[in-house]
Amino acid sequence: MLDKQTGCSIIPKSFMGAQETRELLPGTLDMLILKVLSRGEMHGYGIVSAIQRASDDVLGVVEGALYPALHRLEVRGWVRSKWGASDNNRRAKFYRLSALGRRALEEEAAYWDRVASAVTRVMQRA
Amino acid sequence: MKRVHDAISWGSRLLTLLRRGRRARDIDDEIAFHLAMRQAEHERAGLPPEIARRTAARQFGNVTALKEQTRDMWTFPSFESLVRDLRYALRTLRRAPAFTLVAVLVLAIGIGATTAMFSLVDTMLVRGLPYPKADRLVVLIGNVQRAAGVERRGNSYPDHVDWRARATSFDDMAAYTTLNTTLQGSDEPEPIPSEAVSAPYFSLLGVSPTHGRVFRPEEDAVPNRDAVTILGDGLWRRRFGADPSIVGRTIQLGTRAYTVVGIMPAGFTGVSDTAQLWIPFAISGTPLDNRGSRGFQTLARLKAGATIADARAELDTISRQLAAAYPQTNDKRGVEVSPLADYVLQQLRPIVVALMAAVSLVLLIACANVAGLLIGRADARQREIAVRTALGAGPGRLLRQLITENCLLAMLGAFTGMAIAQISLPSLVAASPIAFPTFVRPQLSLTVLAFGIAIALVSGVLLGIAPMMHTRLPRLGDALKTSSRGGSSGLRSQRFRSVLVIVEVALAVVLLAGAGLMIRSIQKLAAIDPGFEAANVLMVNATIPRQTTLPATPGGPAAPPAPFVTSHTDLLERLRAVPGVEAASLASDLPFGGASAVFYSAEGDATVAAETMPRAYVHRVTPEFFATLRIRLEAGRTFLPAEEKPDSPAVIVSHNVTRRFWPHQDPIGKRIKLGAPGSQNPWMTIVGVVDEVKYRGLPENPTGDPDLYLPYIDRAAQGVVVRTRVEPSSLASAVRAAIRDGNASILTFNASTLADVVAQQSSASRFTSWLLTVFAATALVLSVVGLYGIMSYLVAQRTREFGIRLALGASRAEIVRRVLRDGTWRVAIGAAIGLAATTGLARLLAGLVYGVGTFDISSLLAVATLVVVAIAACGIPAVRATRVDPAIALRSE
Repeated sequence: MLDKQTGCSIIPKSFMGAQETRELLPGTLDMLILKVLSRGEMHGYGIVSAIQRASDDVLGVVEGALYPALHRLEVRGWVRSKWGASDNNRRAKFYRLSALGRRALEEEAAYWDRVASAVTRVMQRA
Repeated sequence: MKRVHDAISWGSRLLTLLRRGRRARDIDDEIAFHLAMRQAEHERAGLPPEIARRTAARQFGNVTALKEQTRDMWTFPSFESLVRDLRYALRTLRRAPAFTLVAVLVLAIGIGATTAMFSLVDTMLVRGLPYPKADRLVVLIGNVQRAAGVERRGNSYPDHVDWRARATSFDDMAAYTTLNTTLQGSDEPEPIPSEAVSAPYFSLLGVSPTHGRVFRPEEDAVPNRDAVTILGDGLWRRRFGADPSIVGRTIQLGTRAYTVVGIMPAGFTGVSDTAQLWIPFAISGTPLDNRGSRGFQTLARLKAGATIADARAELDTISRQLAAAYPQTNDKRGVEVSPLADYVLQQLRPIVVALMAAVSLVLLIACANVAGLLIGRADARQREIAVRTALGAGPGRLLRQLITENCLLAMLGAFTGMAIAQISLPSLVAASPIAFPTFVRPQLSLTVLAFGIAIALVSGVLLGIAPMMHTRLPRLGDALKTSSRGGSSGLRSQRFRSVLVIVEVALAVVLLAGAGLMIRSIQKLAAIDPGFEAANVLMVNATIPRQTTLPATPGGPAAPPAPFVTSHTDLLERLRAVPGVEAASLASDLPFGGASAVFYSAEGDATVAAETMPRAYVHRVTPEFFATLRIRLEAGRTFLPAEEKPDSPAVIVSHNVTRRFWPHQDPIGKRIKLGAPGSQNPWMTIVGVVDEVKYRGLPENPTGDPDLYLPYIDRAAQGVVVRTRVEPSSLASAVRAAIRDGNASILTFNASTLADVVAQQSSASRFTSWLLTVFAATALVLSVVGLYGIMSYLVAQRTREFGIRLALGASRAEIVRRVLRDGTWRVAIGAAIGLAATTGLARLLAGLVYGVGTFDISSLLAVATLVVVAIAACGIPAVRATRVDPAIALRSE
């Protein structure tokens, strides 16, 4: 059910828990995480909620898959983390974008734009 | 950018490896927080807590698996699997004990030899001298510009004092020279290798005494004033029972009592590396006021920040100043500034480097050999690999497994090899005919261990890649199918195997040719005519004391000399009476024992330039000296007994003197004198001319200066030369007894045969050649075994083909020819490449060989040997191929 590479899958809300899955394009989850973090520091739970909110719950990230992805980004040096207190005063791990990550986000976003518009063009004309 | 990335990510992963527990707890906490937040949200939406918790967990996914995945992001994915790989590799190797044993042994030879040689390189070239900041220590050696080039001489004390006063690039300088002192006090006086050193010597080297003190500056300022001495640890333990109270007491050295002022720590043997005792420089007998008398060396420590170039430039300036101030003695005189390490290790370095190169070739052959074995195995394991591929192992995974296996193999080899090296190296160094400095005690240091492991790992990786290169990774299913047919591994694998054969042959040729060069060089060395007959000659040094000893007044003039306890004529009588002695003679210095040069002048010659001023080595000899050594008398006669007095006008010269001054005249009756033409020395008349002899060094005398022989006179230090009718060493004790004649005060030492001393002159060559021959023999055996293995394998693979050929009527001879041709072209290419590469090794050996060019008949001989042996190795499988029964061969698969 989980793609090892992206750690993510698109699951329409209505089919939550069903076997039918569609793979998110490779690297997409990373890009989404970076995008969310570009607005500021956030903990894992907050990132999931933000993605769900912003996509109007269309992109139902399997929540747990966020963590391997987050840690991969941290190992890569694109995000940094530190422990802090959450809104309800619980100990939580906060992530923020590093300079490296910001650059990576720009590249990913530009690439995504090109691919997405190309795919859209093909879908409309063909 | 990418690199920075990698560095960061590897760094953090490494940290994680060290702090796994904490990272795991952090991930637990983080996920727990997430679940709690989600559960709280559901509860706010009205779900009961238990259901809210379960919904949150379901939304999250498989908590345990995800935690593990998250953790994996931080670790080397291969770390855990490495352990699995290792366990698997061990099992695999245990299943093929014969293969494992052969491979480990071959690698042990290669890695063991390389590590052994490296530990020599490490102690000698990397770690260097055993003194603190030894790289700042230099030796200053006076030299002279002669027509033939710059020649090393030595320093005079006034020069030394001026250098020390004027030069600013040094912390300090110390004069030192080596000498033998005679320690009295037991049954027989004992010659002790000693150094006479000026006061800063010990602090320059950074050693302090374990008891007492070092010399004081005033102790080397005034000649003959303070008779003090410092003992080496070994001598102190051996002769004085390690008694600390010896400090302050006196011991008898020669004819004088010396007060012991200090004991040096164990292992310290001075710059000469042989000293067991030290006396102040001022007491050594070196004239302190004669600027022209040069002989000793100066040890100096460069000031912090000063470079060797600074020191050279400064001493050049000072030399010019001294030459201007003292043209008589200092014209064309310069100073060589040589790092102490270079000075001590100069002769050993090229040998060790050449041997290190040779031994690396042995390692390469060993690797090529094992690679050949592994290829055979890889084919056999095709099926296993196919199964593993079918079960999902990727190419990277398989390669890793192979490399793990080979690294394990290489490690086993390395540890076996290092153990062998460890055991054999000390005896190798001890048995070596060239003297290694005493601080060269090869041992398993961390560096050597690290080196051994590093080359094992590199070998392992190379060995792992080798079989992978030749077998393309089987596509799923393909291999399962082909392996059941036992098909050949294809053109690519054959080509790879050919490359292995070629490489092995080429390397073996290089080593054989190198060994050949050395052996030829030794033959040439042995064939040199030194101008004397070395066989059946015994040489002994003797020190004859004077009858009574008058106490020297401190600082005062020396007392008039008393006669010696025995005259040289009596001594010769006694020697001739020893049964087995054919002829006996005495000389002031023995061949290869070290002599000093003097200037001389020929009557009628007006040469005054310092570069071309005639110079010669002077020896005082008894009349039978030339007959005893069988040195040819070219013209004239030897000395008459009547001429044996200090002011005798008779002189015998060697050939080059007459060639220089009277090439076309009868030299007998011509006159020469010691010193410059204007000196006050008396003229001496030439009574005889002898051949040039290699008196001072082989294969050549260090300088081309001729020898002058003067009549013998009684003296303290005597060189005894005896020609024997029997094996000379068997007469050593009889000769020594005859010299001493019951007089305990006469000292005899260094009894040796002239043949041994001559051999010693070429010991470096012989040592190198011996080791190179061992390496070359190893290389030959390894490469031939490798060749045999590979050829057997190729033949075995073609059994079916040969079967068909035989069935179709091919003759057995044809099959043999076919196989031999197959082997021969590979051997031929390897030999050709090896021959070309030989020049490289020959260049490394250039300083060590004598009279042999980089390309020699011995190289061809080496190639011929190898080709013959190699083709024989192909012959066995070839003949086996013909024994194939066509019917069986066809059915066999």
